[in-house]
Amino acid sequence: MDLVSGYKGVVGLVFGNENSGSNEDSYVERLLDRISNGKLAEDRRSAMIELQAIVAESHGAQLAFGAMGFPVMLAVLKEERDDVEMVRGALEALVGALTPIEHAKGPKNEVQPALMNTDLLSREADSISLLLSLLSEEDFYVRYYTLQLLTALLTNSPNRLQEAILTIPRGITRLMDMLMDREVIRNEALLLLTYLTREAEEIQKILVFEGAFEKIFSIIKEEGGSEGGVVVQDCLQLLNNLLRTNASNQILLRETMGFDPVISILKLRGSTYSFTQQKTINLLSALETINLLMMGGTEADPGKDANKLTNKATLVQKKVLDHLLLLGVESQWAPVAVRCAALQCIGDLIAGQPKNLDILATKVLGEEPQTEPALNSILRILLRTSSMQEFIAADYVFKSFCEKNSDGQTMLASTLIPQPHLMTHAPLEEDVNMSFGSMLLHGLTLSENDGDLETCCRAASVLSHVLKDNVQCKERVIRIELEPPMPSLGASEPLMHRMVKYMALASSMKNKDGKSSTSGNLYVQPIILKLLVTWLADCPNAVHCFLDSRPHLTYLLELVSNSSATVCTRGLAAVLLGECVIYNKSNDNGKDAFTVVDTISQKLGLTSYFLKFDEMQKSFLFTSVKSAQPRKVLTRSTAASMADIEDVDENDSSDQKDEDHPILSAIFDVQFVNLVKKLEGDIRESIVEVYSHPKSKVSVVPAELEQRSGESDGEYIKRLKTFVEKQCSEIQDLLSRNSLLAEDLAKTGGGSNSQPEQRVSGGLDRVQVEKLRRDLQEASQRLEMLKTDKAKIESEASMYRNLAGKMESDLKSLSDAYNSLEQANLYLEKEVRALKGGGPSTIADVEAIKAAAREEAQKDSEAELNDLLVCLGQEQTRVEKLSARLLQLGEDVDTLLEGIGDDVGLPEEGEEEED
Amino acid sequence: MSYDYLFKYIIIGDTGVGKSCLLLQFTDKRFQPVHDLTIGVEFGARMVTIDSRPIKLQIWDTAGQESFRSITRSYYRGAAGALLVYDITRRETFNHLASWLEDARQHANPNMSIMLIGNKSDLAHRRAVSKEEGEQFAKENGLLFLEASARTAQNVEEAFIKTAAKILQNIQEGVFDVSNESSGIKVGYGRPQGPSGARDGAVAQRGNCCG
Ligand SMILES: Nc1nc2c(ncn2[C@@H]2O[C@H](COP(=O)(O)OP(=O)(O)O)[C@@H](O)[C@H]2O)c(=O)[nH]1
Ligand SMILES: [Mg+2]
Repeated sequence: MDLVSGYKGVVGLVFGNENSGSNEDSYVERLLDRISNGKLAEDRRSAMIELQAIVAESHGAQLAFGAMGFPVMLAVLKEERDDVEMVRGALEALVGALTPIEHAKGPKNEVQPALMNTDLLSREADSISLLLSLLSEEDFYVRYYTLQLLTALLTNSPNRLQEAILTIPRGITRLMDMLMDREVIRNEALLLLTYLTREAEEIQKILVFEGAFEKIFSIIKEEGGSEGGVVVQDCLQLLNNLLRTNASNQILLRETMGFDPVISILKLRGSTYSFTQQKTINLLSALETINLLMMGGTEADPGKDANKLTNKATLVQKKVLDHLLLLGVESQWAPVAVRCAALQCIGDLIAGQPKNLDILATKVLGEEPQTEPALNSILRILLRTSSMQEFIAADYVFKSFCEKNSDGQTMLASTLIPQPHLMTHAPLEEDVNMSFGSMLLHGLTLSENDGDLETCCRAASVLSHVLKDNVQCKERVIRIELEPPMPSLGASEPLMHRMVKYMALASSMKNKDGKSSTSGNLYVQPIILKLLVTWLADCPNAVHCFLDSRPHLTYLLELVSNSSATVCTRGLAAVLLGECVIYNKSNDNGKDAFTVVDTISQKLGLTSYFLKFDEMQKSFLFTSVKSAQPRKVLTRSTAASMADIEDVDENDSSDQKDEDHPILSAIFDVQFVNLVKKLEGDIRESIVEVYSHPKSKVSVVPAELEQRSGESDGEYIKRLKTFVEKQCSEIQDLLSRNSLLAEDLAKTGGGSNSQPEQRVSGGLDRVQVEKLRRDLQEASQRLEMLKTDKAKIESEASMYRNLAGKMESDLKSLSDAYNSLEQANLYLEKEVRALKGGGPSTIADVEAIKAAAREEAQKDSEAELNDLLVCLGQEQTRVEKLSARLLQLGEDVDTLLEGIGDDVGLPEEGEEEED
Repeated sequence: MSYDYLFKYIIIGDTGVGKSCLLLQFTDKRFQPVHDLTIGVEFGARMVTIDSRPIKLQIWDTAGQESFRSITRSYYRGAAGALLVYDITRRETFNHLASWLEDARQHANPNMSIMLIGNKSDLAHRRAVSKEEGEQFAKENGLLFLEASARTAQNVEEAFIKTAAKILQNIQEGVFDVSNESSGIKVGYGRPQGPSGARDGAVAQRGNCCG
């Protein structure tokens, strides 16, 4: 190929002819040749410029560059440091070769030459340290392009570069120094360090050792804190990388600079009413920092919990709560995403921290005289916000506040005092002077006015936190009586009864008109059910109160079997029914546990009752529950969308394959799901108990059956008669219960001689039978497939058997040929020996000829033999593999191969014997 | 938590000589008989007072294994002090001192103060390196020297404080440019700061707004 004449001065032609790969190859090759071997500095420079241009534009040139260009460019970087223009050019060409071409045509899945080139360059052991050394160059562009090159390498092969940089002494120090460089370089270095520190604990530590915290915070301050631009966002992202699951770095920050610089970013200054998108992202990033500090180190770290506690205590000491309250509660202009993140942080800050709980409980917001407790403000937000996310975040604060905090619960419950009529019906706006409890009660009953149960169910969620695991609070709230909605409408009723009423109302509203029954009401019933389940747990008085109204039981039974209710609603209703059995201490006829069980088995049948539990356990809510939802890491690309969130996307629920509302996933936390699981076990056990030990109405004491002294015959007979009558009626009861059970049993279709324990788990059985049936079906399908497989393999085996036979006969004829050659050789040898007498000179010749002839013959036959042996070896392994496979399939391989052995093995043996 | 100076230390030496235990004894005043193998580098911090001046010590405890050497080397340059530790009951840890020292000379700031510590002095009955040998090695190489025990806490406090005193003395004698961050020394907040270590004109233009 004539390079020179083909391309001299025809650059235009090359560009016009881009599809021709080989043309580009040779063009790039020629340019590289000019750069490395050119004599004139001018010519070398212009070649470099041409190279830059073509590598930045063409796929083919990038490929060609990757194949040949790196050594040339690295040589320039290494040996021509003084020629700034060449070094710049080489760096620029490298950046070009590593940058994907946007408008590239061709199939999508084609290899990106830029990625391949990145991979190639990052494999060059010395190239990374060479690049790092360029960072100390005087020339601005050299440093700038070098950083770009390193960023490109990091983006495409992060792990390799992370490892390489760790092995270069002072490599990270060099990069850190770039943070002190002029602005453009500094910003580039920030991005680079952010990539570099991603999930690389050792690099994170070295950065911090080199004083990264000081530098980051000084840049943030310089750029105006949260009011600053995207640089502040980059700084915070780097900061978060350094702190994420890195306890050592968290301790270092705490022990040296302290958390003040983080907290001061949250401080709103200047225009507190204006929140640009950038400011929102900056604040969200700083809130993430707080969150990372509260999560401590990695899960595996034994000091994690201690570190977490110290971090939380330090944060509160530094008054982070004030800033969070300002962002999450007081600021009227903060975007909803910021408010939610701040509330979430407040929840995490107080969870399980007695001291922090107290601080929040006593916190007062606003200025005299318009002050109110912070918890009241948060409750108001919870009841009034139009954002589901914000409701969930505020609810999380109350959940965290009430968790294992019986004093706090008692404090909140103590203010639950019903207000006179006027007050209850006051519009929400006038609640500033209300106590927490009044506001909550107001929220619970607000729906009377407008028929909207949204506020009621949010308040119910808060009330369930207040009551959870706290018998005193439960009992106290049981006693709360509400006036009737209209004074003329009868007597007052307990709060609990009102809640049941609203729950019933929720379903009827749903059926009635489409407008008010938006998806919202899908969660009203489950949330009120959660309240009742929490309330009745371990609280016989609550059960008593619930059953005090006869229709409640009937309503629950209907709800459990209502096919238009969600799986979750039916399941929770079933749990509530079960609680009426296990926590029932009542002796009243008609309200005791026996009656409830009897009613369940009469109206529902035990099998279908327990089926509701199974269905709920299998539902999305219960299977997807996790202890903590890890938050999304904010990056430049995800930050914008984070800042934009306004509300739960209703469409999100579509992929949950369930009719349950997404809000339920937030409200049905681990603790509640575990409570339900535990209750289910207790309920099953308790119902078995009820049936195996029926309460006897008539105690049978043998002594009583004797005639008492002084008792007349008539009296004795009368007494015995009533006794027999009582027994008779009890037998009647037992018989009817027995027939119910038998009926239930018959319905399950199970075996007639099943054990009592199996009876109650009939639902489970049915599920199992279904599963077994499916398994069976699958198994038989698989069997079919295996059968066809087997047939195929058998036919293959017979083919190979034939083949092996043919090979064998080939081998035989070959060995015959070899034998005859050997014979001929022997004969020749004999002849030669006979000729030996002819003189020494000829002997040598003949000897040589003979040797050559023998060698020739041997070589030929050996080569052929070798080929054959290889073939045979392959056949052997193939046959072995097939045999193994056949064996697996239950085929008797020996008999199958018997035929082959006869064909192949025996003649050979016979031959050998003949030889 | 204000301090006059902040000093960065590293602790180096073979695996198992008691580096992590020395740090734990110094920061938490406790001894942990079963100590986990250090992976990479771990951090600890404490305030001390020298000549009635509050000084913050930041200490990086390194892993002794060869496989972590390249990582731990990254910490040499930025340290003002180093504790070089051997185990008086294990001769080979003493024999390796020279290679550790070579590493330090190659990668560290030449003004770094090094304290040689013969650890586990509570195990005198199993001693394999005499105190005199330790002293001799320290003298030949210009190191401070102490025998200490992370278990009984004997000389632990002293080892860290004497190193700090030495660094402080160097500062007062003008050996260090304390404004240069790579010296492993930082002047505390609120104290008059030296000329900023500007690398080129661009930095100086930005002015001193990071006080
Ligand atoms: N008797 C005694 N044992 C020690 C002393 N210091 C450390 N050890 C033990 O030596 C072992 C190694 O200690 P460690 O601090 O993990 O060594 P490192 O690898 O240098 O960090 C542990 O079993 C310690 O309990 C000491 O002063 N006296
Ligand atoms: Mg250790």
